[in-house]
Amino acid sequence: MKYLPLVWRNLGRNPLRSLLTAAAIALAIALVCILRTMPAGMDAILASAAANTRISTHNEAGIVYSMPYAYLAKVRAVPGVVAAISWNWFGGAIDITKGVEFPNFAVDPDGIAEVYADWGLDPKVFEDFRKYRDAALVGHITLEKHRWKVGDVVTLQSTVFPVSLSFRIVGAVPTSTPAFYFQREYLAQALAAAGVTFDTTGMIWSRVDDPDRVGPVMRQIDEMFRNSEAITATETEKSFIGNFFSGLKQLVTIIQIVAALVTLCIVFIAANTASMSIRERVGEIAILKAIGFRKQTIFSTLLAEAGLLALVAGIAGAATAFGLLKALRVFASGAGPQLGPLTAFVVSYTILVQAIFISFFIGILSGWVPALGASRRSVAQTLREVF
Amino acid sequence: MALPLSYSWRSMLARGTRTAFTVAVIALVVIATTLFWSLIGSLKRTLVSSGSPHNLVVMRKGATNDGSSQLSLDAYQTIRFFEGIARDSAGNPLVSPELVVQPFFHTAGGTRENVLVRGVEPVALEVHDEVKISEGRMIHPSSGEAVVGRIVSKRYKGASLGSELRFGNANWKVVGILDAGGSSFESEVWVDARELANNAKRPLPYSGFRIRVAPDADMDALARRIADDPRWALEATREIDYYKQLSSTANTLYIIVAGLAVLAGIGAIFGATNNMYAAVQARTSEIGTLRALGFSRGAILSAFLAESVMTAAFAFAIGAAISWLLAIAISAALGGIGFASQTFTTNVVVLRVAPQDLFMPLALSVLIGVFGGLAPAAAAARLRPVDALRKA
Amino acid sequence: MIDLVNVSRLYHRGADEIHALERVSLHVPRQRFVALMGPSGSGKSTLLNVLAGLDRPNSGEVTVAGQRLNEMSEDELAAFRAHTVGFVFQFFNLIPVLNAVENVELPLLLTHLSRAERRQRAETALRVVGLADRADHRPRELSGGEQQRVAIARSIVTDAELIVADEPTGDLDAKNAEEILSLLQTLKRDFGKTVVIVTHDPRAEKWVDEVIHLDKGVLLETRPGGAARGGAA
Repeated sequence: MKYLPLVWRNLGRNPLRSLLTAAAIALAIALVCILRTMPAGMDAILASAAANTRISTHNEAGIVYSMPYAYLAKVRAVPGVVAAISWNWFGGAIDITKGVEFPNFAVDPDGIAEVYADWGLDPKVFEDFRKYRDAALVGHITLEKHRWKVGDVVTLQSTVFPVSLSFRIVGAVPTSTPAFYFQREYLAQALAAAGVTFDTTGMIWSRVDDPDRVGPVMRQIDEMFRNSEAITATETEKSFIGNFFSGLKQLVTIIQIVAALVTLCIVFIAANTASMSIRERVGEIAILKAIGFRKQTIFSTLLAEAGLLALVAGIAGAATAFGLLKALRVFASGAGPQLGPLTAFVVSYTILVQAIFISFFIGILSGWVPALGASRRSVAQTLREVF
Repeated sequence: MALPLSYSWRSMLARGTRTAFTVAVIALVVIATTLFWSLIGSLKRTLVSSGSPHNLVVMRKGATNDGSSQLSLDAYQTIRFFEGIARDSAGNPLVSPELVVQPFFHTAGGTRENVLVRGVEPVALEVHDEVKISEGRMIHPSSGEAVVGRIVSKRYKGASLGSELRFGNANWKVVGILDAGGSSFESEVWVDARELANNAKRPLPYSGFRIRVAPDADMDALARRIADDPRWALEATREIDYYKQLSSTANTLYIIVAGLAVLAGIGAIFGATNNMYAAVQARTSEIGTLRALGFSRGAILSAFLAESVMTAAFAFAIGAAISWLLAIAISAALGGIGFASQTFTTNVVVLRVAPQDLFMPLALSVLIGVFGGLAPAAAAARLRPVDALRKA
Repeated sequence: MIDLVNVSRLYHRGADEIHALERVSLHVPRQRFVALMGPSGSGKSTLLNVLAGLDRPNSGEVTVAGQRLNEMSEDELAAFRAHTVGFVFQFFNLIPVLNAVENVELPLLLTHLSRAERRQRAETALRVVGLADRADHRPRELSGGEQQRVAIARSIVTDAELIVADEPTGDLDAKNAEEILSLLQTLKRDFGKTVVIVTHDPRAEKWVDEVIHLDKGVLLETRPGGAARGGAA
């Protein structure tokens, strides 16, 4: 557009003011980006669980309530269930005084390859898991955190069972789960040696063959155990994770409120500068109108000025957020259970791009009224007042 | 000779719109920061207020919280007769054996949350003396009854006094409400320990116990004795330390929020500087006049700095007031914020802005005022009287 | 060129009603250099605004270069001004962030000329006013007189028929004022423009063809100026 040089030059009219405004907006945008990525970490996990046909079965009373292990065989027999495995919380700690640092479970090796086919693991890894009694599959996040690699031997002392077990790591799980999985039979044998009976399970995870059959299969499972001693509640993995995160929903609401407040801030910053810089030029604008520039043209160029400044600031802010998010990820990894996935601080390009658009839009919005007022001022009246 | 504060105050008010914009920016930063800060503060206050200075928490060694502990019966039977433990009027030791289970509860809105259910014996009320039955009565053993914390009664389905509360696939009658001065006990449900053990199919009725230490006894010595006993792998912690440690993970949150607040603050500083530069520009001839009259550079600097700080302080006052109201509104709308605790249960926190929550936002505002006004004030002070008057 | 019949203009300042023009009738033929003079508040600036298409009268007819201005919409007036009128003001003439040639180019942005054509025309105009070597200077690097000359260059760059100037010499010293008035006379003589200026400056009389006196919104008299009598040329 041929007016672009004029618009750009006008921003350079008071470079200090333009810079300060841009810096303020950039920082506010960076803040909005960081805040918005907090729930994004959670949404990402939910989204990845959305499409699959994995369902969970647990005691209706809670996951700290157990179910008889015999349920597993019954669930496997349900038509539509391709494979099913059980999970038992081992509560293993590397250092008993530090407590449990990552979730660890005793699981069935038969069926794990089908139930967790989406892990994308080499079939040989699943084979090793089945072959070696003391094998362990570990989430890559946990592997990296403790600097373990495939082939290492690790010992965990259980905080719920009176045993301590050594495991051989045979594979890294590439998804976002930090969990540590090992063979149920390994635990069963150790418990038998300690004289403890082991015939319960905490959760059963099943893979259903067809997405349309998920609903009916879930109902059938629960129906099966409705009159047994342990009533079950079966739900999709997405629902399970969603419930797990439900406590964070209110926190997310507050984060969103704060993000909205900061966005409002940007409007005020941009509007202040727009109104200041336009008010100074009242005489000049009158001359432009005198020469023959229509009020629409004047309006557009003034608006473009506010928009351009905000756009540039938005880009700078998104870039700043990008850098800060990387730093936050490292720092916040020890934030504990209070925030869970909210402190994953994943970098979301969608959010960054959205922020740039939001900034531009805000620039336009806040420049609207001053630009409109200036473009509409009667030339004759301005000349009368100014001269 | 210094310029009176009223000069700064009136100058601030003279350009109403421009000042209003800056006040809005700083106030919004204050509100955002205060909300986050008092959120964590409310969480910490809830946790820290839990626990009595006279109590010890005994759990399995290495259990970071009483939800993941187990306890053998003979450990309980033996330790409760140790020296240094307080006794009631009948001579019984004030030791409260407890079982912690985390069943699913459903909120009125249908959300599923884990709630800390504590299986207790009647002695629990004497050991946890900050917990009182404010309405109704304590449970009778083996009667399928429950008492619920104040927050629980309002948050979950069937948890109000007199209702049938369902959890653990069983129905429990709510016979009383627990009042614990805002501590985390108000997010708990108390039932008969053996009934709970039965319900959750626990082989042992207790997972840990709390000890009321005798008034003149050495608490630390008793704790050491329990921990050192080779018969069982147990550890004993002061109850207040136990809850303080649970709240310590909130410290990382404080740092993150502080970092975000600094980010917002720097942005606000830029906004304030912008505003002050415009003020200086608009009043160049005024400054020239003042200098010609004999006011020193320092006086001009102080006056402009004062104006900047006053603007920020004014914004702080508005922001703090709005935050206070907003916190009440949010609490009313959301009914308490649920935080996941290390026991994997929901600690419900009521968001309140307490005076101590405002120190950081106040400091932030002052910094914004000082740093925002510094450069423009210096520029104003540097104007020579002759130049300033000529520009007019 | 310019025909005003019974033109009245009234406006409000606060609670007061100002009768800026009272039934003024005026005829200015082509290629004339006219000065509107009178005391402060006489309505001379309002009159200039009306005949330049900057202000609409409350009553009366205004015809300039064959076009009836009092019937035009705001956009039509803007187009009229863009094609037919060149403006020189006392203050704020030039955009401070643009250099001399860019300022002169400004009215050409309203046309469909290419960038190269615009630049060429602007440079030509600057040559006419004798400032070709200052093309890339910003207004703050130019003296008051030079700034006015750039403004004059801008006023002729679209080949406007009518040049209006409100107090063009108001801020200048004697030497610069003479230069500007001489330049304006050149525009009429050598370029065939019709030039109307509003001025307090009595020195202007010797440069113009006609002096029109106003007071309190009423046209008092018209008499020939120095140029018509064969004065300074």
